[in-house]
Amino acid sequence: MARMKFICDAERCIECNGCVTACKNENEVPWGVNRRRVVTINDGVIGAEKSISVACMHCADAPCMAVCPVDCFYRTDEGVVLHSKDTCIGCAYCSYACPFGAPQFPSSGVFGLRGKMDKCTFCSGGPEKNGSVAEFEKYGRNRLAEGKLPLCAELCATKALIGGDGDVIADVFRTRVVKRMAAGKNSGADVFGWATAYGKPNAPAPAAKPATGGKS
Amino acid sequence: MKLALAGAFIATTFLVGCNESGMSASKRPDVAPYMGADNGFMAKGWKPGDQASWNAEITKRNQLQSEYSRIK
Repeated sequence: MARMKFICDAERCIECNGCVTACKNENEVPWGVNRRRVVTINDGVIGAEKSISVACMHCADAPCMAVCPVDCFYRTDEGVVLHSKDTCIGCAYCSYACPFGAPQFPSSGVFGLRGKMDKCTFCSGGPEKNGSVAEFEKYGRNRLAEGKLPLCAELCATKALIGGDGDVIADVFRTRVVKRMAAGKNSGADVFGWATAYGKPNAPAPAAKPATGGKS
Repeated sequence: MKLALAGAFIATTFLVGCNESGMSASKRPDVAPYMGADNGFMAKGWKPGDQASWNAEITKRNQLQSEYSRIK
């Protein structure tokens, strides 16, 4: 059984935000909600700037599932973490638990009340009937049931964002890394992940920069 | 004796009243994606309901994301 995952190749991402736009359009995501977004580190530093596209990573041991007080999350046989908006109470515990900031909450009503949680579904809809109008209105398109992969990954111009069966996309990424190493270029194997954010095992983590005036 | 029995009955009745009704977190019924979608956007090349053909279609699309396999 396939186990669906995303990988973003930071050596290839050019911060075009095509994945963000594709997701918003394909799923008709509510105003103010971004299921996917591009995060840039070392912004403006020549040679050190890297971007990655981030959304729900469909964790194998998802913290959002663990903290949800109404147990609205479930995992499909394909390893996709989904939730039921009929059960969600919009408490935002999942938002605090998620290390990727995936759960989003649309503002609804004149006072901007927090609505039901919305997040990346790996383009596989929700508990409603596959491909139905009800499913689309609540969760967006169910591309997996149409025999397709998430549009953000399929549309990515540089193929930085790859999504699909974890084993297959890991092989795709590994092939790239090996080819780059053979060409004497930066392999990019250690860019996506903890090493960039928290330092390498034998090196200290990058020091936090002090705030320099401006708005807080 | 009768008074004690009546007291126990009344106490039991009140205690039952304090009880909460049973709650169970029922799992959402979700149909597997290989069963297909009921809309006009189905990709051609696979048969809804056939898991093997769905897997093959997804694997084919996975490989389209690797230009090393596309340019062979």
